[in-house]
Amino acid sequence: MTPETARRVNLAGAAITTFTVFCAIVWAFPIYWGIVSSLKPEDEVVRPYIELWPDTLTFQHYWFALTQTQIGTWYINSIATAVGVTILTVSTSMFAGYAISQLRFPFRKPLYWLILASFMVPTQVLIVNHFVLMANMGLLNTWAGIILPQLIHPVVIIVYKQFFDQVPKDFREAAVMDNASEFSILLKVYMPMNWGVTTALSIVTFIWSWNAFLWPFLAVTKTEMMTITVGITQVNDAFGVYYARQLSAAVLAGFPVALAYLLFQRRVTQAITLSAGIKG
Amino acid sequence: MIRNTRKETLVAFVLIAPFVAIYGLIFIYPTIDMFILSFQDAPLIGEGTWVGWENYTRLPRDRRFDTAFWNTAYFVALSVVPGTLVALFIALGISRLSGRLQALVLALFFLPYILPVSVVYRIWDWTLNFQFGIGMHLFDWMGIDRVPIFKMTGWFMPAVAFVTVWWTAGFSILLFLAGLRAIPQEIYEASSLDNASRWTTFTKITWPLLWPVTALVLTIQLILQLKIFDQVYLFSVGGRPNDNLVMVYYIFQRAFVNNDGGRAAAIAVVLFVIVIIVSVLNFQLMRFAERRP
Amino acid sequence: MAEITLNNVSKSFGAVTVIDNVSLTVGAGELVVFLGPSGSGKSTLLRMIAGLETIDSGTLTIGGKESQNLAPGQRNVAMVFQNYALYPHMTVRENMAFGLKNIRMPASEIDKRVNDAARILEMDALLDRRPSQLSGGQRQRVAIGRAIVKEPAAFLFDEPLSNLDAALRVRTRVELSELHQRMKSTMIYVTHDQTEAMTLGDRIVILNNCKIEQIGTPMEVYTYPAACFVAGFIGSPAMNFLKVQMSGSGEKAVATLGDGSRVAIPVAVPEAGRYELGIRPEAVRVTDGSGDTTGDARVVEHLGDRTLVYVILKDGTQITAQDTGRSTVAPGDRLALLFDWSHLRVCDELCRDCHVQ
Repeated sequence: MTPETARRVNLAGAAITTFTVFCAIVWAFPIYWGIVSSLKPEDEVVRPYIELWPDTLTFQHYWFALTQTQIGTWYINSIATAVGVTILTVSTSMFAGYAISQLRFPFRKPLYWLILASFMVPTQVLIVNHFVLMANMGLLNTWAGIILPQLIHPVVIIVYKQFFDQVPKDFREAAVMDNASEFSILLKVYMPMNWGVTTALSIVTFIWSWNAFLWPFLAVTKTEMMTITVGITQVNDAFGVYYARQLSAAVLAGFPVALAYLLFQRRVTQAITLSAGIKG
Repeated sequence: MIRNTRKETLVAFVLIAPFVAIYGLIFIYPTIDMFILSFQDAPLIGEGTWVGWENYTRLPRDRRFDTAFWNTAYFVALSVVPGTLVALFIALGISRLSGRLQALVLALFFLPYILPVSVVYRIWDWTLNFQFGIGMHLFDWMGIDRVPIFKMTGWFMPAVAFVTVWWTAGFSILLFLAGLRAIPQEIYEASSLDNASRWTTFTKITWPLLWPVTALVLTIQLILQLKIFDQVYLFSVGGRPNDNLVMVYYIFQRAFVNNDGGRAAAIAVVLFVIVIIVSVLNFQLMRFAERRP
Repeated sequence: MAEITLNNVSKSFGAVTVIDNVSLTVGAGELVVFLGPSGSGKSTLLRMIAGLETIDSGTLTIGGKESQNLAPGQRNVAMVFQNYALYPHMTVRENMAFGLKNIRMPASEIDKRVNDAARILEMDALLDRRPSQLSGGQRQRVAIGRAIVKEPAAFLFDEPLSNLDAALRVRTRVELSELHQRMKSTMIYVTHDQTEAMTLGDRIVILNNCKIEQIGTPMEVYTYPAACFVAGFIGSPAMNFLKVQMSGSGEKAVATLGDGSRVAIPVAVPEAGRYELGIRPEAVRVTDGSGDTTGDARVVEHLGDRTLVYVILKDGTQITAQDTGRSTVAPGDRLALLFDWSHLRVCDELCRDCHVQ
């Protein structure tokens, strides 16, 4: 090989890198396009030629969405239900995961097998019965009704059990010798040692719940109880066929979770890799 | 370690009680209820009459069930393997980068996954809008007529599969990146000393060593796409829902549009069984493949 | 078998220079050891020869052919990696054949080479196993076998013994030596272990801080260390360094040690003043009767064939001395030490060499 050939090989490497970056930009372009379009006045949005940056930059659609529609209420509903799902899922899974991992009690193994088996069950098949159940309990169109069926998240308890299994036994034995109750062992030893996992699972559960569509869509018929993910697709009369306005509502709906990801990238990545490891 | 069994059991039960209570209420009970309901002729809410296997025997003659079943299969074929391959090649590209550039590129590819499905819907509905969508310019450049993509049956499924791959690739990319990272750099150094071309390195070294991850991704994607609903429903609003049915959509339609809880439950059970069979088959196939050497 | 020459070779990573203007020649059929502590650049140098790192400036010649711009596979060298780098999903046979297949060698030739190598390394029974089914020592043989079938101009070894346990390390060292004698191939061997360097190398290249400190045969490097670093690095336990005041010169030179003892040392120094003496432990003997100085034994180590005594002099200077294997010295004993001046290094305070006997 001559120096030219060596340079050619380097060129091929550089070409692949450039291509990858180009693909990334093209990949993310629709998101950019959606945001940019939401910042244009309606008459500019429907122009036949492509304008990559607004001629007139305007926030009028966002202003409209925030003041003239129920988006504020939808935000509250989303926050309340997502927080509710997160706290309930993570706390019950942590307690139960600790018990399965560290304590001996009858039906321990069958319970764990049942949870593992429930992985295979697609929760979408339960929509009819969830609806009937919530209707019978009078929980349709309430936060509780939105929250409850979303609490099926076997990944969380399985991850907790695995992490608790890996805590060296010495800690528990020392604590037991110090007459600590199981609750304080869990709260003062096991939980702090796995704080990273708790954070990761919480963030991911929050995002998942915020993004949920099927169940919140079914559980709510009154527009003032809708979560924002559902609301932006359902209420068309407030928006009409106003493309930029609809896009601004979409941006408002997606912004919180995108922000959560950008702030907590590592945790989100960790949680996803963990959950896949379980499925494998 | 000496354990106080009675006390331990009590404490354990207290700890698992909230979880078990919720699980029982939200999971066990509705699952059993689903089976029971499937044997009844019942409205969505309210009492029904026992009809035995009738809801099931109607299915083979049910045209909409046929559509839903084959659409789901079609959708799976369009999204699982292409989605996995796309994610693999993106991961290969990303793994060659490092530092800030890598983090940026990964974030760009991953961002769609974080977004709610309705936001994804709005973005692509706008981008591929028949009148004003920027995607229409692609048709112009290629010299063919513009197509109202989501309104035309032939285009609908491929387009939704495309959007789905765009939306969910991030997850698979992460898994592939982890798998690629697990291959020691020394192996690649040895192969460069062994005169392996780029293609040989990929086919003889990277691909075989990555196979467990690839298989995992395929499995997860397969089971995920069998359960699809959200994007199919959203994109077919204003179009032709009955042509675009997938299994979960059909369950929804039977229950909430036709007010037929019993028949919906029967379809749900069928889907439930399909997913379980596929999961178990997959699991066994993985075990078998691992034992081969 | 080929000669390898590096000429004024340098490399930097960004602002950090990792190899600084290095030149050396490895003769055909020679086993040269690159020896040095971690971070000295020895592995980098090896990888630059292999083509796994680029050479920023300077030239590399392998078998007369200028090679610094060639791809790793094109340089006709084979490398044995520290962690073996065996392809985990291939059998031993496939591991060895992989490189040959890539250059489109006929299958019959490949088989012949693989079988020959397996015979030399006594691995015939292992050919159809996977790396995960082999022990550490067996994996290392496969790594060597993979290099042998290539019939390269030179073999490059990157700390190959560091992952083996102590007993296996000694056995394998002997085997490597036999291999070199049998195949008469050019070999470059990187290690931080000076015992390996001393026992295996025809010549040793000692590297420190990205520069070459000395190149020489093991005995040359041991007896005539060119720099303080070399003196301290080669030999275990390390050479003693004593600060002395020299007066007189030549036959009449007298050294005053830290504790005041005066010893006659026939060495030519340019002028009187403060110097540093380097003397190896085996040249500091415990005697009955009077010696050159006295001190207290602090720690005594019985090694079987000899005994190491760590002695502390009156002024606090520490000296490592040696006694016979059957020594009865115990910690706390007051000892007389006798210096054998036949192998001595004297350098000035700034560690610039001035005289070696």
